[in-house]
Amino acid sequence: MSLASPHAAQESLTFRIGKNLFDMSEVAGGMAVLLVRVLWRIARANFDWNEFKTNMYKMGVKSTPIVVVTALFVGAIAVIQAAPMVQQYGAYGLLGWGAGFSVLRELGPLLTALMISGRVGANNTAELGTMVVTEQIDALRILAIDPLGFLIAPRLLAIVLTLVIANIYADALALFGAAIASKAMLGVEYGVFLNGLTSGLLNFGDVAHGLIKSAFFGLMMAIASCYFGLAVKGGAPGVGRAVNAGVVASATGIFILDYFVSFIIG
Amino acid sequence: MISFRNIHKSFGPKNVLQGVSFDVHDGEVFFIIGASGVGKSVLIKHLVGLLYPDQGEIWLDGQEISRFDELQMMAVRRKCAMVFQHSTLFDSMTCAQNVALPLRKHKNLKGRSAEHEAIKLLEKVHMEAFADRFPAELGDGMRKRVAIARALTLDPQYILFDEPTTSLDPVNARRVDKLIRELSDTLGVTSIVVSHDLVSIFGIADRIVMLYKGQVRLLGTREEFRNTTDGVVEQFTNGYAEGPMDL
Repeated sequence: MSLASPHAAQESLTFRIGKNLFDMSEVAGGMAVLLVRVLWRIARANFDWNEFKTNMYKMGVKSTPIVVVTALFVGAIAVIQAAPMVQQYGAYGLLGWGAGFSVLRELGPLLTALMISGRVGANNTAELGTMVVTEQIDALRILAIDPLGFLIAPRLLAIVLTLVIANIYADALALFGAAIASKAMLGVEYGVFLNGLTSGLLNFGDVAHGLIKSAFFGLMMAIASCYFGLAVKGGAPGVGRAVNAGVVASATGIFILDYFVSFIIG
Repeated sequence: MISFRNIHKSFGPKNVLQGVSFDVHDGEVFFIIGASGVGKSVLIKHLVGLLYPDQGEIWLDGQEISRFDELQMMAVRRKCAMVFQHSTLFDSMTCAQNVALPLRKHKNLKGRSAEHEAIKLLEKVHMEAFADRFPAELGDGMRKRVAIARALTLDPQYILFDEPTTSLDPVNARRVDKLIRELSDTLGVTSIVVSHDLVSIFGIADRIVMLYKGQVRLLGTREEFRNTTDGVVEQFTNGYAEGPMDL
Protein backbone atom coordinates (compact mmCIF):
# COMPACT_ATOMS: atom_id res chain seq x y z
CA MET A 1 0.00 0.00 0.00
CA SER A 2 1.32 3.43 -0.87
CA LEU A 3 2.18 5.70 2.03
CA ALA A 4 1.83 8.88 -0.05
CA SER A 5 -1.28 10.93 0.72
CA PRO A 6 -3.77 11.73 -2.08
CA HIS A 7 -2.85 15.41 -1.59
CA ALA A 8 0.82 14.64 -2.22
CA ALA A 9 -0.11 12.74 -5.38
CA GLN A 10 -2.22 15.70 -6.54
CA GLU A 11 0.65 18.09 -5.82
CA SER A 12 2.96 15.87 -7.74
CA LEU A 13 0.65 15.89 -10.77
CA THR A 14 0.26 19.68 -10.54
CA PHE A 15 4.00 20.00 -10.20
CA ARG A 16 4.57 17.83 -13.24
CA ILE A 17 2.06 19.74 -15.36
CA GLY A 18 3.60 23.04 -14.28
CA LYS A 19 7.10 21.79 -14.94
CA ASN A 20 6.15 20.60 -18.42
CA LEU A 21 4.57 23.97 -19.19
CA PHE A 22 7.70 25.76 -18.00
CA ASP A 23 9.88 23.41 -20.06
CA MET A 24 7.77 24.03 -23.17
CA SER A 25 7.89 27.79 -22.59
CA GLU A 26 11.65 27.60 -22.20
CA VAL A 27 12.00 25.72 -25.50
CA ALA A 28 9.63 28.07 -27.35
CA GLY A 29 11.41 31.12 -25.92
CA GLY A 30 14.84 29.66 -26.70
CA MET A 31 13.84 28.97 -30.29
CA ALA A 32 12.42 32.49 -30.70
CA VAL A 33 15.61 34.08 -29.36
CA LEU A 34 17.76 31.86 -31.59
CA LEU A 35 15.61 32.74 -34.62
CA VAL A 36 15.95 36.49 -34.01
CA ARG A 37 19.72 36.23 -33.50
CA VAL A 38 20.18 34.16 -36.66
CA LEU A 39 17.91 36.35 -38.81
CA TRP A 40 19.86 39.39 -37.62
CA ARG A 41 23.06 37.78 -38.94
CA ILE A 42 21.43 36.88 -42.24
CA ALA A 43 20.07 40.42 -42.62
CA ARG A 44 23.62 41.78 -42.23
CA ALA A 45 25.03 39.04 -44.55
CA ASN A 46 27.15 37.98 -41.59
CA PHE A 47 27.30 34.29 -42.42
CA ASP A 48 29.74 31.86 -44.03
CA TRP A 49 29.12 31.61 -47.76
CA ASN A 50 31.13 28.37 -48.14
CA GLU A 51 29.08 26.69 -45.42
CA PHE A 52 25.92 27.87 -47.14
CA LYS A 53 27.00 26.31 -50.45
CA THR A 54 28.03 23.07 -48.73
CA ASN A 55 24.68 22.88 -46.94
CA MET A 56 22.69 23.66 -50.07
CA TYR A 57 24.35 20.67 -51.72
CA LYS A 58 24.03 18.40 -48.67
CA MET A 59 20.46 19.37 -47.86
CA GLY A 60 19.03 20.41 -51.22
CA VAL A 61 20.69 18.35 -53.95
CA LYS A 62 20.97 15.18 -51.87
CA SER A 63 17.27 15.35 -50.91
CA THR A 64 16.20 15.28 -54.55
CA PRO A 65 15.66 11.49 -54.93
CA ILE A 66 13.48 11.20 -51.83
CA VAL A 67 11.38 14.23 -52.85
CA VAL A 68 10.98 12.97 -56.44
CA VAL A 69 9.73 9.51 -55.38
CA THR A 70 7.43 10.89 -52.68
CA ALA A 71 5.97 13.59 -54.94
CA LEU A 72 5.15 11.18 -57.79
CA PHE A 73 3.21 8.93 -55.42
CA VAL A 74 1.49 11.81 -53.61
CA GLY A 75 -0.15 12.93 -56.88
CA ALA A 76 -1.17 9.37 -57.71
CA ILE A 77 -2.64 8.85 -54.22
CA ALA A 78 -4.70 12.05 -54.54
CA VAL A 79 -6.25 10.62 -57.73
CA ILE A 80 -6.88 7.20 -56.11
CA GLN A 81 -8.80 8.87 -53.28
CA ALA A 82 -10.82 11.05 -55.64
CA ALA A 83 -11.54 8.28 -58.19
CA PRO A 84 -14.82 6.86 -56.71
CA MET A 85 -16.47 10.30 -56.51
CA VAL A 86 -15.21 11.31 -59.97
CA GLN A 87 -16.61 8.11 -61.46
CA GLN A 88 -19.94 8.43 -59.58
CA TYR A 89 -20.58 11.97 -60.85
CA GLY A 90 -18.65 11.70 -64.10
CA ALA A 91 -16.66 14.80 -63.15
CA TYR A 92 -13.58 13.83 -65.15
CA GLY A 93 -12.99 17.41 -66.23
CA LEU A 94 -12.53 18.51 -62.63
CA LEU A 95 -9.88 15.93 -61.84
CA GLY A 96 -7.01 18.25 -62.83
CA TRP A 97 -8.43 21.04 -60.70
CA GLY A 98 -8.99 18.71 -57.70
CA ALA A 99 -5.49 17.26 -57.84
CA GLY A 100 -3.96 20.68 -58.42
CA PHE A 101 -5.85 22.33 -55.59
CA SER A 102 -4.91 19.68 -53.01
CA VAL A 103 -1.31 19.30 -54.18
CA LEU A 104 -0.43 22.99 -54.63
CA ARG A 105 -2.02 24.27 -51.44
CA GLU A 106 -1.62 21.38 -49.02
CA LEU A 107 -0.12 18.04 -49.93
CA GLY A 108 2.92 19.35 -51.79
CA PRO A 109 4.29 21.67 -49.10
CA LEU A 110 3.24 19.48 -46.15
CA LEU A 111 4.59 16.15 -47.35
CA THR A 112 7.76 17.69 -48.80
CA ALA A 113 8.41 19.35 -45.43
CA LEU A 114 7.82 16.14 -43.49
CA MET A 115 10.08 14.11 -45.79
CA ILE A 116 12.87 16.69 -45.63
CA SER A 117 12.40 17.05 -41.88
CA GLY A 118 13.05 13.34 -41.43
CA ARG A 119 16.17 13.46 -43.53
CA VAL A 120 17.67 16.95 -43.17
CA GLY A 121 16.30 18.05 -39.78
CA ALA A 122 17.35 14.88 -37.95
CA ASN A 123 20.78 14.95 -39.58
CA ASN A 124 21.21 18.62 -38.70
CA THR A 125 20.38 18.06 -35.01
CA ALA A 126 22.68 15.04 -34.80
CA GLU A 127 25.56 16.88 -36.46
CA LEU A 128 25.28 20.00 -34.28
CA GLY A 129 24.74 17.89 -31.15
CA THR A 130 27.87 15.89 -31.86
CA MET A 131 29.79 19.12 -32.39
CA VAL A 132 28.58 20.32 -28.97
CA VAL A 133 29.55 17.16 -27.07
CA THR A 134 32.94 16.96 -28.78
CA GLU A 135 33.58 20.65 -27.94
CA GLN A 136 33.81 21.65 -31.63
CA ILE A 137 31.40 24.55 -31.02
CA ASP A 138 33.63 25.76 -28.16
CA ALA A 139 36.60 25.36 -30.50
CA LEU A 140 34.91 27.72 -32.98
CA ARG A 141 34.34 30.27 -30.23
CA ILE A 142 37.97 29.96 -29.16
CA LEU A 143 39.01 30.70 -32.73
CA ALA A 144 36.95 33.92 -32.41
CA ILE A 145 34.44 32.58 -34.96
CA ASP A 146 30.76 33.22 -34.21
CA PRO A 147 29.02 29.79 -34.28
CA LEU A 148 25.67 31.35 -35.16
CA GLY A 149 27.10 33.11 -38.20
CA PHE A 150 29.35 30.25 -39.24
CA LEU A 151 27.11 27.23 -38.60
CA ILE A 152 23.52 28.16 -37.88
CA ALA A 153 22.69 31.02 -40.27
CA PRO A 154 23.90 29.11 -43.39
CA ARG A 155 21.90 26.07 -42.29
CA LEU A 156 18.73 28.05 -41.70
CA LEU A 157 19.03 29.74 -45.07
CA ALA A 158 19.82 26.45 -46.82
CA ILE A 159 16.88 24.62 -45.21
CA VAL A 160 14.37 27.35 -46.09
CA LEU A 161 15.62 27.58 -49.70
CA THR A 162 15.72 23.79 -50.00
CA LEU A 163 12.08 23.52 -48.93
CA VAL A 164 10.87 26.28 -51.24
CA ILE A 165 12.79 24.90 -54.25
CA ALA A 166 11.86 21.29 -53.45
CA ASN A 167 8.23 22.34 -53.18
CA ILE A 168 8.30 23.80 -56.68
CA TYR A 169 9.50 20.62 -58.34
CA ALA A 170 7.53 18.39 -55.94
CA ASP A 171 4.33 20.18 -57.05
CA ALA A 172 5.20 19.62 -60.71
CA LEU A 173 6.08 15.96 -60.15
CA ALA A 174 3.00 15.31 -58.03
CA LEU A 175 0.77 16.70 -60.78
CA PHE A 176 2.67 14.61 -63.31
CA GLY A 177 2.04 11.53 -61.12
CA ALA A 178 -1.61 12.50 -60.80
CA ALA A 179 -1.97 12.83 -64.59
CA ILE A 180 -0.46 9.38 -65.14
CA ALA A 181 -2.68 7.83 -62.46
CA SER A 182 -5.77 9.54 -63.97
CA LYS A 183 -5.00 8.10 -67.37
CA ALA A 184 -4.14 4.64 -66.02
CA MET A 185 -7.06 4.29 -63.57
CA LEU A 186 -9.84 6.39 -65.03
CA GLY A 187 -8.80 6.73 -68.66
CA VAL A 188 -8.73 10.53 -68.38
CA GLU A 189 -6.74 11.97 -71.29
CA TYR A 190 -3.74 14.17 -70.47
CA GLY A 191 -5.34 17.07 -72.32
CA VAL A 192 -8.50 16.85 -70.18
CA PHE A 193 -6.41 16.70 -67.00
CA LEU A 194 -4.33 19.68 -68.14
CA ASN A 195 -7.46 21.62 -69.02
CA GLY A 196 -8.75 21.10 -65.47
CA LEU A 197 -5.50 22.50 -64.16
CA THR A 198 -5.34 25.53 -66.44
CA SER A 199 -8.98 26.45 -67.00
CA GLY A 200 -8.86 29.33 -64.54
CA LEU A 201 -10.04 27.62 -61.38
CA LEU A 202 -6.43 27.55 -60.21
CA ASN A 203 -4.14 30.57 -60.35
CA PHE A 204 -0.74 31.78 -59.15
CA GLY A 205 -2.24 32.46 -55.72
CA ASP A 206 -2.57 28.72 -55.16
CA VAL A 207 1.10 28.18 -56.02
CA ALA A 208 2.14 31.12 -53.84
CA HIS A 209 0.03 29.73 -50.98
CA GLY A 210 2.09 26.53 -51.04
CA LEU A 211 5.40 28.36 -51.38
CA ILE A 212 4.65 30.64 -48.42
CA LYS A 213 3.82 27.59 -46.34
CA SER A 214 7.06 25.92 -47.42
CA ALA A 215 9.08 28.94 -46.28
CA PHE A 216 7.40 28.85 -42.85
CA PHE A 217 7.85 25.08 -42.58
CA GLY A 218 11.53 25.52 -43.46
CA LEU A 219 11.96 28.16 -40.76
CA MET A 220 10.27 25.90 -38.21
CA MET A 221 12.35 22.87 -39.15
CA ALA A 222 15.60 24.80 -39.26
CA ILE A 223 15.16 26.52 -35.93
CA ALA A 224 13.90 23.40 -34.12
CA SER A 225 16.69 21.18 -35.45
CA CYS A 226 19.39 23.78 -34.69
CA TYR A 227 18.01 24.63 -31.26
CA PHE A 228 17.87 21.02 -30.07
CA GLY A 229 21.29 20.34 -31.60
CA LEU A 230 22.88 23.26 -29.77
CA ALA A 231 21.11 22.38 -26.50
CA VAL A 232 22.53 18.84 -26.31
CA LYS A 233 23.78 17.74 -22.91
CA GLY A 234 25.10 14.39 -21.81
CA GLY A 235 27.15 12.78 -24.60
CA ALA A 236 25.82 10.25 -27.12
CA PRO A 237 22.51 9.54 -25.30
CA GLY A 238 21.96 13.31 -25.21
CA VAL A 239 22.42 13.49 -29.00
CA GLY A 240 19.83 10.71 -29.43
CA ARG A 241 17.35 12.52 -27.20
CA ALA A 242 17.95 15.79 -29.05
CA VAL A 243 17.34 14.21 -32.47
CA ASN A 244 14.11 12.71 -31.17
CA ALA A 245 12.96 16.00 -29.65
CA GLY A 246 13.98 17.95 -32.76
CA VAL A 247 12.02 15.71 -35.15
CA VAL A 248 8.92 15.76 -32.90
CA ALA A 249 9.10 19.55 -32.45
CA SER A 250 9.58 20.09 -36.21
CA ALA A 251 6.65 17.87 -37.19
CA THR A 252 4.35 19.31 -34.52
CA GLY A 253 5.36 22.86 -35.39
CA ILE A 254 4.80 22.22 -39.10
CA PHE A 255 1.22 21.06 -38.51
CA ILE A 256 0.47 23.97 -36.15
CA LEU A 257 1.94 26.46 -38.62
CA ASP A 258 -0.01 24.82 -41.44
CA TYR A 259 -3.24 25.57 -39.61
CA PHE A 260 -2.38 29.18 -38.85
CA VAL A 261 -0.86 30.02 -42.24
CA SER A 262 -3.88 28.44 -44.01
CA PHE A 263 -6.19 30.41 -41.74
CA ILE A 264 -4.39 33.72 -42.20
CA ILE A 265 -3.65 33.71 -45.93
CA GLY A 266 -6.85 31.88 -46.83
CA MET B 1 50.64 39.10 -18.10
CA ILE B 2 47.71 37.05 -16.86
CA SER B 3 46.42 37.43 -13.33
CA PHE B 4 43.81 35.28 -11.60
CA ARG B 5 42.55 37.03 -8.46
CA ASN B 6 40.43 35.24 -5.87
CA ILE B 7 38.51 33.11 -8.38
CA HIS B 8 35.50 31.23 -7.03
CA LYS B 9 33.42 28.86 -9.11
CA SER B 10 30.68 26.43 -8.11
CA PHE B 11 28.60 23.95 -10.09
CA GLY B 12 25.44 23.38 -8.07
CA PRO B 13 26.46 22.37 -4.57
CA LYS B 14 30.04 21.61 -5.62
CA ASN B 15 32.53 24.40 -4.87
CA VAL B 16 35.25 23.70 -7.42
CA LEU B 17 37.39 26.84 -7.11
CA GLN B 18 37.52 28.57 -3.73
CA GLY B 19 39.67 31.66 -4.04
CA VAL B 20 42.42 30.86 -6.55
CA SER B 21 44.99 33.62 -7.11
CA PHE B 22 48.25 33.62 -9.09
CA ASP B 23 50.03 35.43 -11.94
CA VAL B 24 51.45 34.03 -15.17
CA HIS B 25 54.42 35.97 -16.58
CA ASP B 26 55.00 36.71 -20.25
CA GLY B 27 56.95 34.11 -22.21
CA GLU B 28 56.94 31.40 -19.57
CA VAL B 29 55.72 27.81 -19.74
CA PHE B 30 53.40 27.67 -16.76
CA PHE B 31 51.89 24.40 -15.56
CA ILE B 32 48.67 24.01 -13.59
CA ILE B 33 48.70 20.65 -11.86
CA GLY B 34 46.50 18.80 -9.42
CA ALA B 35 44.35 15.71 -9.07
CA SER B 36 41.54 14.96 -11.52
CA GLY B 37 38.43 17.05 -10.87
CA VAL B 38 40.26 19.74 -8.90
CA GLY B 39 39.25 22.45 -11.40
CA LYS B 40 42.35 22.90 -13.57
CA SER B 41 40.46 22.87 -16.89
CA VAL B 42 37.64 24.88 -15.32
CA LEU B 43 40.13 27.57 -14.37
CA ILE B 44 41.66 28.03 -17.83
CA LYS B 45 38.22 28.06 -19.48
CA HIS B 46 37.55 31.24 -17.48
CA LEU B 47 40.35 32.97 -19.31
CA VAL B 48 38.69 32.62 -22.73
CA GLY B 49 35.08 33.14 -21.68
CA LEU B 50 33.92 29.53 -21.90
CA LEU B 51 33.08 29.88 -18.20
CA TYR B 52 32.58 32.91 -15.98
CA PRO B 53 33.66 33.14 -12.32
CA ASP B 54 31.09 33.45 -9.54
CA GLN B 55 33.49 35.79 -7.78
CA GLY B 56 36.96 37.19 -8.47
CA GLU B 57 38.77 38.92 -11.31
CA ILE B 58 40.87 37.88 -14.29
CA TRP B 59 43.33 40.40 -15.69
CA LEU B 60 44.89 40.06 -19.12
CA ASP B 61 47.51 42.62 -20.17
CA GLY B 62 46.11 45.20 -17.75
CA GLN B 63 42.43 44.63 -18.64
CA GLU B 64 39.87 43.05 -16.35
CA ILE B 65 38.15 40.53 -18.65
CA SER B 66 36.04 38.35 -16.37
CA ARG B 67 32.84 40.28 -17.13
CA PHE B 68 33.39 40.63 -20.89
CA ASP B 69 30.46 39.65 -23.09
CA GLU B 70 30.78 37.26 -26.07
CA LEU B 71 31.62 40.10 -28.48
CA GLN B 72 34.34 41.56 -26.24
CA MET B 73 35.71 38.08 -25.66
CA MET B 74 36.40 37.72 -29.41
CA ALA B 75 39.34 40.11 -29.03
CA VAL B 76 40.65 38.15 -26.05
CA ARG B 77 40.41 34.89 -27.98
CA ARG B 78 42.49 36.26 -30.82
CA LYS B 79 45.27 36.86 -28.29
CA CYS B 80 44.69 33.70 -26.34
CA ALA B 81 44.45 30.41 -28.25
CA MET B 82 43.47 27.12 -26.70
CA VAL B 83 44.27 23.49 -27.52
CA PHE B 84 41.61 21.23 -26.05
CA GLN B 85 42.26 17.84 -24.47
CA HIS B 86 40.54 16.04 -27.36
CA SER B 87 41.96 18.33 -30.06
CA THR B 88 38.43 19.28 -31.28
CA LEU B 89 39.35 19.45 -34.94
CA PHE B 90 36.34 19.88 -37.22
CA ASP B 91 35.42 16.39 -38.47
CA SER B 92 34.06 17.55 -41.80
CA MET B 93 37.27 19.35 -42.80
CA THR B 94 40.73 18.11 -43.77
CA CYS B 95 43.71 19.07 -41.61
CA ALA B 96 44.60 21.87 -44.04
CA GLN B 97 41.02 23.15 -44.05
CA ASN B 98 40.93 23.07 -40.24
CA VAL B 99 44.03 25.23 -40.07
CA ALA B 100 42.91 27.43 -42.97
CA LEU B 101 39.55 28.27 -41.38
CA PRO B 102 40.76 30.97 -38.94
CA LEU B 103 42.98 32.36 -41.72
CA ARG B 104 39.95 32.70 -43.99
CA LYS B 105 37.84 34.28 -41.27
CA HIS B 106 40.34 36.65 -39.67
CA LYS B 107 43.13 37.28 -42.18
CA ASN B 108 40.84 37.46 -45.21
CA LEU B 109 42.85 34.88 -47.10
CA LYS B 110 40.89 33.15 -49.85
CA GLY B 111 40.82 29.44 -50.84
CA ARG B 112 44.26 28.55 -52.21
CA SER B 113 46.28 31.15 -50.34
CA ALA B 114 44.63 30.20 -47.02
CA GLU B 115 45.47 26.54 -47.60
CA HIS B 116 49.03 27.47 -48.65
CA GLU B 117 49.49 29.34 -45.35
CA ALA B 118 47.89 26.43 -43.50
CA ILE B 119 50.42 24.01 -44.95
CA LYS B 120 53.25 26.31 -43.79
CA LEU B 121 51.84 26.10 -40.26
CA LEU B 122 51.46 22.32 -40.55
CA GLU B 123 55.16 22.20 -41.47
CA LYS B 124 55.96 23.79 -38.10
CA VAL B 125 54.37 20.80 -36.37
CA HIS B 126 55.70 18.29 -38.94
CA MET B 127 52.22 17.45 -40.20
CA GLU B 128 52.39 18.83 -43.77
CA ALA B 129 52.29 15.30 -45.24
CA PHE B 130 48.86 14.81 -43.70
CA ALA B 131 47.32 18.07 -44.92
CA ASP B 132 44.65 16.32 -47.01
CA ARG B 133 43.67 13.79 -44.37
CA PHE B 134 40.55 14.06 -42.25
CA PRO B 135 40.94 14.08 -38.44
CA ALA B 136 39.28 10.66 -38.14
CA GLU B 137 42.14 9.18 -40.19
CA LEU B 138 44.82 10.37 -37.73
CA GLY B 139 46.08 9.19 -34.36
CA ASP B 140 45.72 11.21 -31.15
CA GLY B 141 49.24 12.65 -31.28
CA MET B 142 48.85 13.76 -34.88
CA ARG B 143 45.49 15.37 -34.19
CA LYS B 144 47.00 17.23 -31.26
CA ARG B 145 49.79 18.60 -33.43
CA VAL B 146 47.27 19.77 -36.05
CA ALA B 147 45.28 21.43 -33.25
CA ILE B 148 48.46 23.23 -32.17
CA ALA B 149 49.02 24.40 -35.76
CA ARG B 150 45.43 25.69 -35.83
CA ALA B 151 45.99 27.48 -32.52
CA LEU B 152 49.01 29.24 -34.03
CA THR B 153 47.06 30.73 -36.96
CA LEU B 154 46.19 34.00 -35.24
CA ASP B 155 49.72 34.55 -33.88
CA PRO B 156 48.52 34.32 -30.27
CA GLN B 157 50.49 35.75 -27.37
CA TYR B 158 49.11 33.08 -25.08
CA ILE B 159 48.25 29.43 -25.69
CA LEU B 160 46.29 27.34 -23.22
CA PHE B 161 46.90 23.60 -23.42
CA ASP B 162 44.37 21.34 -21.72
CA GLU B 163 46.13 18.05 -20.94
CA PRO B 164 48.14 18.04 -24.17
CA THR B 165 49.92 14.74 -23.51
CA THR B 166 47.05 12.73 -22.04
CA SER B 167 46.37 9.55 -24.05
CA LEU B 168 49.57 9.97 -26.08
CA ASP B 169 52.36 7.40 -26.21
CA PRO B 170 55.63 8.55 -24.56
CA VAL B 171 57.32 9.44 -27.85
CA ASN B 172 54.44 11.58 -29.09
CA ALA B 173 54.02 13.08 -25.62
CA ARG B 174 57.66 14.25 -25.60
CA ARG B 175 57.25 15.63 -29.15
CA VAL B 176 54.34 17.75 -27.95
CA ASP B 177 56.40 18.87 -24.91
CA LYS B 178 59.24 19.89 -27.21
CA LEU B 179 56.84 21.85 -29.37
CA ILE B 180 55.42 23.74 -26.38
CA ARG B 181 58.92 24.59 -25.15
CA GLU B 182 59.96 25.76 -28.63
CA LEU B 183 56.94 28.03 -28.93
CA SER B 184 58.03 29.79 -25.78
CA ASP B 185 61.76 29.89 -26.61
CA THR B 186 61.52 30.87 -30.27
CA LEU B 187 58.27 32.84 -30.58
CA GLY B 188 57.96 34.15 -27.02
CA VAL B 189 54.51 32.57 -26.64
CA THR B 190 53.25 32.24 -23.07
CA SER B 191 51.95 28.72 -22.50
CA ILE B 192 49.60 27.68 -19.73
CA VAL B 193 49.53 23.91 -19.57
CA VAL B 194 47.01 21.91 -17.59
CA SER B 195 48.56 18.52 -16.94
CA HIS B 196 49.24 15.71 -14.53
CA ASP B 197 51.97 14.21 -16.70
CA LEU B 198 54.96 14.30 -14.33
CA VAL B 199 57.53 13.89 -17.14
CA SER B 200 56.12 16.96 -18.90
CA ILE B 201 55.87 18.95 -15.70
CA PHE B 202 59.46 18.38 -14.62
CA GLY B 203 60.71 18.43 -18.21
CA ILE B 204 59.58 21.79 -19.59
CA ALA B 205 57.85 23.90 -16.90
CA ASP B 206 59.27 27.29 -15.92
CA ARG B 207 56.83 27.58 -13.04
CA ILE B 208 54.13 25.37 -11.62
CA VAL B 209 51.03 25.91 -9.54
CA MET B 210 49.36 23.04 -7.75
CA LEU B 211 45.62 23.24 -7.01
CA TYR B 212 44.25 21.26 -4.11
CA LYS B 213 40.73 21.44 -2.68
CA GLY B 214 39.90 24.44 -4.83
CA GLN B 215 42.87 26.53 -3.68
CA VAL B 216 46.52 27.08 -4.54
CA ARG B 217 48.63 24.58 -2.60
CA LEU B 218 52.03 25.55 -3.93
CA LEU B 219 53.34 27.97 -6.57
CA GLY B 220 56.96 27.76 -7.58
CA THR B 221 59.68 26.53 -9.90
CA ARG B 222 60.51 22.91 -10.68
CA GLU B 223 63.25 23.01 -8.03
CA GLU B 224 60.88 24.35 -5.41
CA PHE B 225 58.45 21.53 -6.20
CA ARG B 226 61.25 18.92 -6.03
CA ASN B 227 62.49 20.23 -2.68
CA THR B 228 59.14 20.84 -0.99
CA THR B 229 58.37 19.25 2.35
CA ASP B 230 54.61 19.62 1.85
CA GLY B 231 53.30 16.04 2.09
CA VAL B 232 50.38 16.65 -0.27
CA VAL B 233 52.62 18.08 -3.01
CA GLU B 234 55.21 15.35 -2.46
CA GLN B 235 52.60 12.62 -2.78
CA PHE B 236 51.28 14.11 -6.05
CA THR B 237 54.62 14.86 -7.68
CA ASN B 238 56.01 11.44 -6.79
CA GLY B 239 52.78 9.62 -7.69
CA TYR B 240 52.47 7.80 -4.37
CA ALA B 241 49.26 5.80 -3.88
CA GLU B 242 49.31 6.42 -0.13
CA GLY B 243 49.77 9.77 1.61
CA PRO B 244 48.03 12.78 3.09
CA MET B 245 46.10 13.73 -0.09
CA ASP B 246 42.36 13.62 0.43
CA LEU B 247 40.96 12.38 -2.90
